[in-house]
Amino acid sequence: MTGRIDLPQGTLDLLILKTLSLTAMHGWAISERIRQISKEVVMVPQGSLYPALHRLERRGWISAEWGASDNNRKAKFYKLTAAGRKQLAEDSKLWERLTAAVGLVMDARA
Amino acid sequence: MIARVWSEFVYRVRSMFRRADVERELDAELRSHIEHETARLVRDGVSPTDAERQARASFGGIERIKEDTRDARGVSFVEQTLADVRYALRALRAHKAFTIGVVITLALGIGANATMFGIVDRLLFRAPSALRDPETVHRLYRYERDALEVSANRSFSYPTYLDLKRSLTSFTDVAAFYTPRYSVGDGESVVELPVTVASANYFNYFDARPFRGRFFTAAEDSAEGAQVVVLGYDFWQSQFGGRDVIGEQIRVGAPLRTIIGVAPRGFVGVSDQGVPAMWLPISNFAFASRGAAYTTYYEWSWLEVIARRRLGVTRQAAETELTGAFIRSWRNAYAINKEWGTPEAGDLRGAIGPIQLERGPQAGENSRVAKWTAGVALIVLLIACANVANLLLARALGRRREIAVRLALGASRGRLARQLLTESVLLSVLGAIGGLAIAQWGATSIRRWFIPSEVTVNVFTDMRMVAFAAAATILVALLTGLVPAVRSGRTDVSRSLKDGARGSSLQHSRTRSSLLILQVALSVVLLIGAGLFVRSLSNANDYRLGYDADQVLFATTRLRGSRLTTAERASLFDRLENAARAVPGVTHVTHAQSVPFSGNDMRPLASPGVDSISARGRFILQIGSPDYFATMGTRIVRGRAFGAGDRLGSERVVVVSEGMANAIWPGSDPLGKCLRFAWSDTAPCMTVVGVAEEMHLRSFDDSREHAYYVPRLQMPDEPPQLQLLARVNGAPERSIEALRRRLQRELPGSAYIYVRPLMQLVEPNLRSWRLGATMFTAFGALALVLAAIGLHSVIAYDMAQRKRDLSLRVALGAPTSRLFGMVVGRGARLVTVGLVLGGSVAMWAAPWLKEQLFQQDPRDLAVFGVVGLTLLIAGVAATLMPAFRAARVDPNQVLRDE
Repeated sequence: MTGRIDLPQGTLDLLILKTLSLTAMHGWAISERIRQISKEVVMVPQGSLYPALHRLERRGWISAEWGASDNNRKAKFYKLTAAGRKQLAEDSKLWERLTAAVGLVMDARA
Repeated sequence: MIARVWSEFVYRVRSMFRRADVERELDAELRSHIEHETARLVRDGVSPTDAERQARASFGGIERIKEDTRDARGVSFVEQTLADVRYALRALRAHKAFTIGVVITLALGIGANATMFGIVDRLLFRAPSALRDPETVHRLYRYERDALEVSANRSFSYPTYLDLKRSLTSFTDVAAFYTPRYSVGDGESVVELPVTVASANYFNYFDARPFRGRFFTAAEDSAEGAQVVVLGYDFWQSQFGGRDVIGEQIRVGAPLRTIIGVAPRGFVGVSDQGVPAMWLPISNFAFASRGAAYTTYYEWSWLEVIARRRLGVTRQAAETELTGAFIRSWRNAYAINKEWGTPEAGDLRGAIGPIQLERGPQAGENSRVAKWTAGVALIVLLIACANVANLLLARALGRRREIAVRLALGASRGRLARQLLTESVLLSVLGAIGGLAIAQWGATSIRRWFIPSEVTVNVFTDMRMVAFAAAATILVALLTGLVPAVRSGRTDVSRSLKDGARGSSLQHSRTRSSLLILQVALSVVLLIGAGLFVRSLSNANDYRLGYDADQVLFATTRLRGSRLTTAERASLFDRLENAARAVPGVTHVTHAQSVPFSGNDMRPLASPGVDSISARGRFILQIGSPDYFATMGTRIVRGRAFGAGDRLGSERVVVVSEGMANAIWPGSDPLGKCLRFAWSDTAPCMTVVGVAEEMHLRSFDDSREHAYYVPRLQMPDEPPQLQLLARVNGAPERSIEALRRRLQRELPGSAYIYVRPLMQLVEPNLRSWRLGATMFTAFGALALVLAAIGLHSVIAYDMAQRKRDLSLRVALGAPTSRLFGMVVGRGARLVTVGLVLGGSVAMWAAPWLKEQLFQQDPRDLAVFGVVGLTLLIAGVAATLMPAFRAARVDPNQVLRDE
């Protein structure tokens, strides 16, 4: 597991929303995409992916629809809703401010 | 925000109704994930079998993920409740006998309350059906002060009604009505029915359209009144089968009348005298009774008045104006007849009351008894609740192990309590449904006792009844469910698991004993109440009214339009009297001026040397035939009765009642005294020749009511009442028909005679006592049964719990009689504590019952004693079975079972 980082609390939702902002995807594809983009640094814990997806669906930020995947398998596709897009914008802003602030603190300490 | 709430809502509703679908979808989704992962691994060069294993392994526990996903989705309150309900239903089905017992107990308790609520609601709160804006509609009352007292009155004369209608400005409309009985039909099929005569505007008070045809108009209700009739829906259905009858004729009273309409179903107006069969113009009734002079005849007070208060007029302003109107009306009467005198300040006062008669100043006995009975019903419900709480508690004890296991498996205590509470709610809902069924089908006779003009209400669709049942359900659920639910929360897991179902907890048994004592105490209170009412009723039944009504028939004529002069009346009466005397079985016959609990004749009296006789009591005149005292069975206490020798030309005589003698000539010998009618100074003296026992003609217990008796033969100018009393041999019912047929032959035209036992007039006056006794006894018996069941179940359950303890004793050589005594003793101890408690409460509360009782000491020790003994016997009987079982315990078997 070298080079891999467990996700900090609450960031999974943000990553999912971000990933879905480009196109609709099914669960496995979401985790795969996060893995690839993060250069295999971020591994989505399989145990939390689906609870997170269902939580986001419940909140109305994403919606789900069954369809066929690339290799013609049946899969449940999630896509961002308007509310989800708004939420993503807010959360991204928050995230940027947080990382910036954390960076400042870390820099000062160094 | 709203969008989010909406999405949550949709999501939850979907997950609730499509539980299985959602579950299948989740399954498919996870499977699809693993398939994709497998495919990727295969692409990466892993063999298919390994790939799938690897994919599964990296995924982790599927069930765990599913569980987490379900949690993320959230479990709705409704879903959880449904699960609780399913669980509770399963538990209730598993213990059928228990469930049925509890539901019946609760149904009886709730049914008793629903019935009484319906009655009290109907008497006191509910407005007559279809009445528009009932809070602005008032009955009008007139307070009058006479020599004896101030009393409220709601009977007015027709001209007074006209005076009010013309002058009142605080009210938008004033209407009059009266509900006499009419003879309806022709020949053999004549029946007497209540008929409301009303002013034409009476119908405007209601949101009621005629079912067929129309109501009568103001033009039809003027002068002598048109011969038109509006039929009641029920009468129309039963007499005409609901066919079109508009324009047909029917004989009501003397004339044939044209049917112009049918009232809507359930319409009774504001009648308190039973459901009216039909409606007639009030002027028609007045004209038939008094001729054209009815519009100025102030002497005859007969109709009731209702009025609609104008918007914005206060009650006080309305009453002030009404008082002025009554005084002006009185002056109008004085202008016609100087005998009226002029009212002094304070003599007259107008008052407006709610449309519900029972809430006004002339409330009857029924509402009082109804209120009492409603309170009693509430106690029955409390007993039922205590009983059910006890049973639930007992069962919760039996399920201690189950509960402990579920606690140990991680169920939260709150959730367990909720489940137990769900059971109670379910039981009380079933009980409430049963209770409503009892109120609907089982209690119609009770309703009819209390409310003569009752139209059937469907309790299942009546909002107020359903609301009441719902409130009762919640109350019952809390009362029965709270204690077991709280108790279960305190279960000690490890101890319960260790002890199994066996160990008995002292704490629990104390709670249950307290509940039991409470039940016994409440039952004692009710049974003492019942005992007092039964004694009171028997006192009233045995009460000497001053005559023997049992063997007397009362015959009264309905002239139906035949007009007779005084002389014709007198000769008709003589013929009737002679004819009646000749009927086999009839022994004595007399003229009746005043008839017990029917009509009374009171006249101003004077006696030389005595002033203001009218302030000394109410004196009722009886004008009798020579056989009067023999017919009535009234005893002469001093002097003599009048007889055939007291006739025109001989000395004028009078017999007075004991109370009257004491009231007018206290301390001196009444015999030989002179009594005169006070209408003129020259009225001749009537010499008192005898004193009769006190006679009760208007009420059972008014000590200011007295009677005096004058021979008819000495009052030749007095037109006789065409009614007579006849004493018969044997059962009076057997002679009714013979007497009726014989007398009918003497009558002119369409006049007819109506014969009934005198008891029929006396009995209704026993009703409030009879009602009280019946209701208290019924509810008391119910309470006793419930308490006995409760005692039985508690003792039996204790025995089952202590089987091991008992068998050890048997094994160690305790004689079975000792065991028997121990069990019965425990029951007797509990009952005794309850007895003392209940007895004390009853002793303390009994004086409040005094007004409801007829000459009965509310602290009658005999009643207390009998009730105590009854409960003790019932208590011991309830413990007998468990005691026998305990005594027959086989130690070998019990100890081996452990």
